[in-house]
Amino acid sequence: MTPPPAASVADMIRPVPLVADSQVNRDILAVMDRPTMPYWLLLGFLVVFVHAAGAVWVYQVYKGLGIAGYAHPIFWGVYIVTFVFWVGIAHAGTLISAILYLFRSKWRNAINRSAEAMTVFAVLTAAQFLGIHVGRIWKSYFILPYPNQRGLWVNFKSPLVWDTFAISTYGTISALFLFVGLIPDFAIARDRSTGWRKVLYTALALGWEGKSKQWKAWNRTVLHLSGLCTPLVLSVHSVVSWDFAMSIVPTWHATIFAPYFVAGAIFSGFAMVLTMMIPVRRIFGLEAYITEYHFDNMGKFILLTSLIVGYSYVMEFFIAWYSGNEFEQTAWWYRVFGPYWISTWTMLICNTMIPQLLWFKRVRTHVPTLFAVSIFVNIGMWFERYVIIVIGLSHEYDPAVWGIYTPRPAELMILAGSFAFFAMFFVIFIKLFPVIAVSEMKELAIHRKSHAHEGAH
Amino acid sequence: MSEPAPGHRIALPFLLFAVVTVVVLALPGAREVSAQAKSSETALEAQKLAWDDNAPGPKQPIPFSHAIHAGQYQIQCLYCHTGTDRSRMAGVPSVENCMGCHAQFGGDLEGVQILKKHWEEKTPIEWQQIHRLPEYVKFRHNRHIQAGVACQTCHGPVQEMNKVYLVPDRGWMNGVPVAKLEMGWCINCHNKNKASIDCLTCHH
Amino acid sequence: MPELDRRDFLKLVGVGAGAAAAAGCSDPVEKLIPYVVQPDIITPGIPVYYASTCRECPAGCGLHVKTREGRPIKLEGNPEHPVNKGSLCARGQAGLGRTYHPDRFPGPMLRGSDGKLAPISWKDATELVATKLRGGAGGAYLLGSDPGPTASGVLDKWVAAVGAGGRIVYEPFAPEALVEAAQLVFGNASEPVFDLSKADLVVSFANDFLETWVSPVEHARQLAEARDISAHPEGGARFVYFGPRLSMTASSSDEWIPARPGSEGILAMALARVVLENGGGSASERALLAGVLDGFDAERAAARTGVDAKTIERVGKALAKAKAPIALPPAGGFASNRARAATAAVLVLNQLTGAVGKTLALLPLPSDGKRASYKELLALVDSMKSGKVSVLLVHGADPAYSMPQTTDFADALTKVPFVVSFASSTDETSALAHLILPEHTPLESWGDAQPRAGVRSVLQPAVRPLQDTQALIDALLDIGRAVSPEVAAKLPTGSFRTLLEAAWSDADFRQVLQRGGVFAEKSGPASASLSPGVAKLGVADPVLEGEGDYVLLALPSPLLYDGRGANLPWLQEIPDPVTKIVWQSWLEVSHETAQKLGLVAGDVVVIETGGQRRAEVPVVPRGGIRNDVVALAVGQGHTQGLYASRELERGVNDPQGKRLYPLPENAGRQVARGVNVISLLAAATDEAGGRAWLTTKAKLTKAGRSERVAFTGANDNMRERMLGEAITLSDLVAGKSVVDPEMLGLAASVKERLQDAARRGEEMTPPAGVPAEALTRNGELIAFNPADDAKPGSPYRWGMSIDLDRCTGCSACVAACYLENNVPIVGEEQSIRGRIMSWLRLERYVTDGDIDYVGGRPPHSTLERLGHVGVRHLPMLCQHCGSAPCEPVCPVFATYHNPEGLNGMVYNRCIGTRYCSNNCPYKVRRFNYFDYSLETWPEPMKLMLNPDVTVRCQGVMEKCTYCAQRVEFARQPAKNEKRLIRDGEVTPACAQSCPTQAITFGNLKDADSQVAKKASDPKRGYHALHVLNTRPATTYLAKVVRGPVEV
Repeated sequence: MTPPPAASVADMIRPVPLVADSQVNRDILAVMDRPTMPYWLLLGFLVVFVHAAGAVWVYQVYKGLGIAGYAHPIFWGVYIVTFVFWVGIAHAGTLISAILYLFRSKWRNAINRSAEAMTVFAVLTAAQFLGIHVGRIWKSYFILPYPNQRGLWVNFKSPLVWDTFAISTYGTISALFLFVGLIPDFAIARDRSTGWRKVLYTALALGWEGKSKQWKAWNRTVLHLSGLCTPLVLSVHSVVSWDFAMSIVPTWHATIFAPYFVAGAIFSGFAMVLTMMIPVRRIFGLEAYITEYHFDNMGKFILLTSLIVGYSYVMEFFIAWYSGNEFEQTAWWYRVFGPYWISTWTMLICNTMIPQLLWFKRVRTHVPTLFAVSIFVNIGMWFERYVIIVIGLSHEYDPAVWGIYTPRPAELMILAGSFAFFAMFFVIFIKLFPVIAVSEMKELAIHRKSHAHEGAH
Repeated sequence: MSEPAPGHRIALPFLLFAVVTVVVLALPGAREVSAQAKSSETALEAQKLAWDDNAPGPKQPIPFSHAIHAGQYQIQCLYCHTGTDRSRMAGVPSVENCMGCHAQFGGDLEGVQILKKHWEEKTPIEWQQIHRLPEYVKFRHNRHIQAGVACQTCHGPVQEMNKVYLVPDRGWMNGVPVAKLEMGWCINCHNKNKASIDCLTCHH
Repeated sequence: MPELDRRDFLKLVGVGAGAAAAAGCSDPVEKLIPYVVQPDIITPGIPVYYASTCRECPAGCGLHVKTREGRPIKLEGNPEHPVNKGSLCARGQAGLGRTYHPDRFPGPMLRGSDGKLAPISWKDATELVATKLRGGAGGAYLLGSDPGPTASGVLDKWVAAVGAGGRIVYEPFAPEALVEAAQLVFGNASEPVFDLSKADLVVSFANDFLETWVSPVEHARQLAEARDISAHPEGGARFVYFGPRLSMTASSSDEWIPARPGSEGILAMALARVVLENGGGSASERALLAGVLDGFDAERAAARTGVDAKTIERVGKALAKAKAPIALPPAGGFASNRARAATAAVLVLNQLTGAVGKTLALLPLPSDGKRASYKELLALVDSMKSGKVSVLLVHGADPAYSMPQTTDFADALTKVPFVVSFASSTDETSALAHLILPEHTPLESWGDAQPRAGVRSVLQPAVRPLQDTQALIDALLDIGRAVSPEVAAKLPTGSFRTLLEAAWSDADFRQVLQRGGVFAEKSGPASASLSPGVAKLGVADPVLEGEGDYVLLALPSPLLYDGRGANLPWLQEIPDPVTKIVWQSWLEVSHETAQKLGLVAGDVVVIETGGQRRAEVPVVPRGGIRNDVVALAVGQGHTQGLYASRELERGVNDPQGKRLYPLPENAGRQVARGVNVISLLAAATDEAGGRAWLTTKAKLTKAGRSERVAFTGANDNMRERMLGEAITLSDLVAGKSVVDPEMLGLAASVKERLQDAARRGEEMTPPAGVPAEALTRNGELIAFNPADDAKPGSPYRWGMSIDLDRCTGCSACVAACYLENNVPIVGEEQSIRGRIMSWLRLERYVTDGDIDYVGGRPPHSTLERLGHVGVRHLPMLCQHCGSAPCEPVCPVFATYHNPEGLNGMVYNRCIGTRYCSNNCPYKVRRFNYFDYSLETWPEPMKLMLNPDVTVRCQGVMEKCTYCAQRVEFARQPAKNEKRLIRDGEVTPACAQSCPTQAITFGNLKDADSQVAKKASDPKRGYHALHVLNTRPATTYLAKVVRGPVEV
């Protein structure tokens, strides 16, 4: 069963570019043309950087976590912060592809491909940090429930175990989603390409011929996958949030955490989509496909989620005060006026104040400003996690062992490395796969033609 | 801890039982043989076997044959491995302990000569360890002996070995094979005998 | 080689159990190396104990040296010994490290012309010294600590035989003034011995008797006895502390009166006067003192001491009224150039209050054994300068470090043509010596000690010397015999051991070795009378050298003592009981002073004394010190020694990787660790020539830079969080409970219903819907019953009770934990990051705290106030919670709840997510950020590891296990005998070492066990951070606030 026609098709197809199918192919697949020198330089830089960060990590494994800035009692630091950050980034993709798909907001078609790709790479990046932050990486397989001669099992009570499952599930599904979506485009690419690429795409296209039967099956698959993904979008970050909410650390132990984290995740996710897409659009001249209309919608989304996040902040402070719980109150006071005040205020300003600009359509459609805003949001959201994790731990129940944490070069290097890691995959992706869903763009185009035809009557 | 693995793993408990009984039954006979002063030859033979490079197990500094001592002469394990019933650690006999007997006996044997050399030079014998547990496992020999666990349960039919080696034993835990002296192997036995399987019992 | 004694096998011992001590994650030792000759007393795996005597300070505590496979692995107190009765202080326990210290000399060393030390054989070395002695032994002098009566006697014989110039006994903090003052006051040579256990009022005149004075462990026990709340419902002895600084000792007092330093004598006189006015003393005494005491009326005394007249009157009246009061004279850093007079004044006060015979015994001076004399030492220094000393033999002392700079001891030493040091490991003096003849460490030596008349304590070797060393006496005898046959003839024959046995011939030596000595306590005369000499007591303000606004207090450090502990890493890493600083020197100033100079914690000041002596040291502002005083602890500032100096951080002296995480920025740092305050002091003496420590004023100027101070306690404000609780005596008497019933987590209605039931005498079972922990004990509501938190089938629920009213903060438990559990040392840099690994830490809070929302970094000390005690020492260790927050969050069950209620930690299962520690509200879990185990124990220190405790590797979490290995050890005999482990059969290291027995451990399921009784204390019992309902197995008993003394 194909998705039923949506309420007012006209609304949805408005942004569709007036170009012929072949034109679509050419434009979009042009992105995948032989890479230029700058591309190679960029890629080379990223690869080298990733390896440099990797070297730091290897040294850490050899020497011990002590080279990071951990100080009793702050046992989690930049690594976990960055982990949560990337998991958050990973949300926009599925949201756009799955939920918006189910809601039939067709405008998503222009951006969903890159968003999905981002999701997969973000999850990949996040997963690295699970390994980076443990003390004995060489024993970390203990966390998997596999039958072993010791007769030992994992502790299913531990949020960290839930985490492991949540992340791996999410990774698998989103990778699958990305791949399925790509099949028709692989076919197009296959038909246009030669040499090793032809071989590659032939293999990946799984013998796609564009028969209506295949389209039918494909549509159904996508629909069902979206159905599968939708709950995941909400669940994954809820589970991640439980890493904190399930503990008894003041400022962690809060029921609001799940929705608050999910909102934050979508918030940062959309910001990251913008941060990635704006340059791509510019460089590869995809203005015809990623239009102001998209930015407008994205802007609205970011504004909405920003408001939710802001509300959560206010609510947490209020509850801390209202609960009359001294531990919470002290911790919250410390969070805003303690030695970490810079992080806290960075978070507040970037996440709640700057996005308010998006109330204005001018801003939402003015690409450079939007780009700047998205950068600020990314920074703000990283600091949100820093604030929650580090400050929470610095200032717990026993005043005699309150501590101060400052990141060390090793951690910052690995943090930077994670961005390079993420970017590296994206850059490779751009050249290997169509960065915009060709088929779906055409779908819109076809819609338009048919309606135009009706209009002629 | 490397030894070629003979087959019939699964049957080994039975084998082991059989072997032990056979030995126990056969020993009186063996005693008579020894009475007819043939032991020196068997001893020489045993020495050869104890240093037989084809036999499993590492080569020891002295061609010491448990088969002769524990098997043929039926010397109780605790006679040489003193304190094993009182202490967490198994006592490895001191040179003096060996000299107790070998001051008189077996002077013609190569191994005993090496032993005497050690005694005169007052240097300890550096035995190759065969049964070893990681340092984070605190195994208690005394508890096991007090609980009536036979030495052979873990060390195999040492009384028949000229050259001691780690007798392979395989159990199953969660559908995974468990080799001897691995944790699952201990747990299996503890479960069977309703012994404590609390982690702190062995790990602290 | 001496006759084959029962420790000789150690040259034959193999590494055997060495494997067991190897790091839990390191490569295995694959060889089995048995003994050649296995001594009958040794069974591998079973510890052997030797009774001996501690030599870390003159107190002479009895030891039980725990050895495994012939290696001492732990020092424990000898329960039979009258001095310490089974407990041992931190310094004593850390002394174990001396034997295995990497700084030990491998054997005799001769300093070549290039200034480098080169090995030399004992024979040659002996001959060398002998030749030096042949040419004019008259210029030869022996200088060293008191080696114990027998050795002392032999030394005197040696001096006589060789015809040496003389022998000087040197003990930096020897209480010389005490004996002199006793002579002055009572007219006969006697040694005043103070017994606090019977006292009902203790007045300390700046006497830190819980830290370093005479016999700290004993005094701590006595004070705890005298104040035991269960024995004395009315609160027991009251304790008043006069002194300018809230020291560790003062923090145990009921009333801290910040008197001006050096004014103790005047105070004592003023109090004596009040006592006389209130009917104290006999008529004759009144007559005798009439003249002496006028001029010491409360008003005038108040002006001179900074204590207001009313307080003097009040305390004086209390003294007069008390049945068994005791006054302790100024000591340690407070010995001024008027020390004898001040001490005498205090003795007079004791006499007037009738303390003599009750709490103060005047014992005869030990006949044998020379006493320390600073006067003689100064004389020696002069003759050294004038080149009269040809040979100087130094043993058991480090004068080059501990003599005031102004005496120029170091220069004087260079004027001596031949200096021999008997130090077993490197120190400042041996660095200047020409020849080094290393002596055995106390654990390797024979010897004896006499803490006081009647108490004779023996030293016996527990291990065969690890290095090519000799007993001091044997070495000297060899030298003497080598000098000439005539000399040899005059010398006693035989080895020191035979001489020792001869000296003990009056007792059964075998039994002596088993018990640790002969303990025939002597009691002094029932009363004494003042000698006429008192009439000219001459109590006056001390004369302080130099000008400056501040009096410089140079106080013996509770852990490093006079500096001899500085090279023992444990003593460096155990936080100072007052400021919680490690590995460093710091200057304590008052908040007001800090403000005046514009300083915050860590800002460096230039401290200047006597015009030319200067030092730079970071300040630590606190409320617990007078504004006109600055305090700097003795003990740091060494330039020699792996741990005492900065060698480690600077990464030098590193032949075998004995480096503690050196950071590049340290490469340029000065060699000395911290500041040696002694170099700032003037060489003043008291009236009798004893050493004065309170000698100088100091000028402070801002240096304009600052250093990171290694605080291990963030701040002292508890914020009313139910950590270190206290209950006032009145509340206690009124039957109130320290736990507010509202905090019991029960709905008020439920509570009422339960209480109604109680009134009706019905059995009080919680109504439906009420958690099972809504129970009552002794008619009192309790939040829960810790005994429930074990597997129903299990006969045990291990638990602990810690009596905060007994805890003095001495940190003996911390040292015990370090040494029992192979807890690694992390060094200064890591400590600053808060990565100290101690499983047991002492938190120091002041009062209940207040909830103030401080912005910025909370200052270290916020609640201390002058003249206000309110200090709570809180030993914080794993609480072994019944519902432990750490357990559910561990993804791999590395930490879990064991059937006997213990919170188990399985190192080799841990993958290091550190979630458990995040979720632990008590923050008692420690993480191995580096492979600390590799670098903490340089060879041969690995030999001192406890083979029963796994050494943890990099990346795993660790924490207090309630000494699970000791539980397991006790379980073996119990199981063999088919019985349960008896109460008291298991004692964790911390509880065992505690001088005041504040810690009790046992089975909570056994209602008759000590711990169950204590833990069920309805009034004082509480659980830390109660509101979290973690159901801890550790029950704290609240400190009792007795309040100021009243009349």
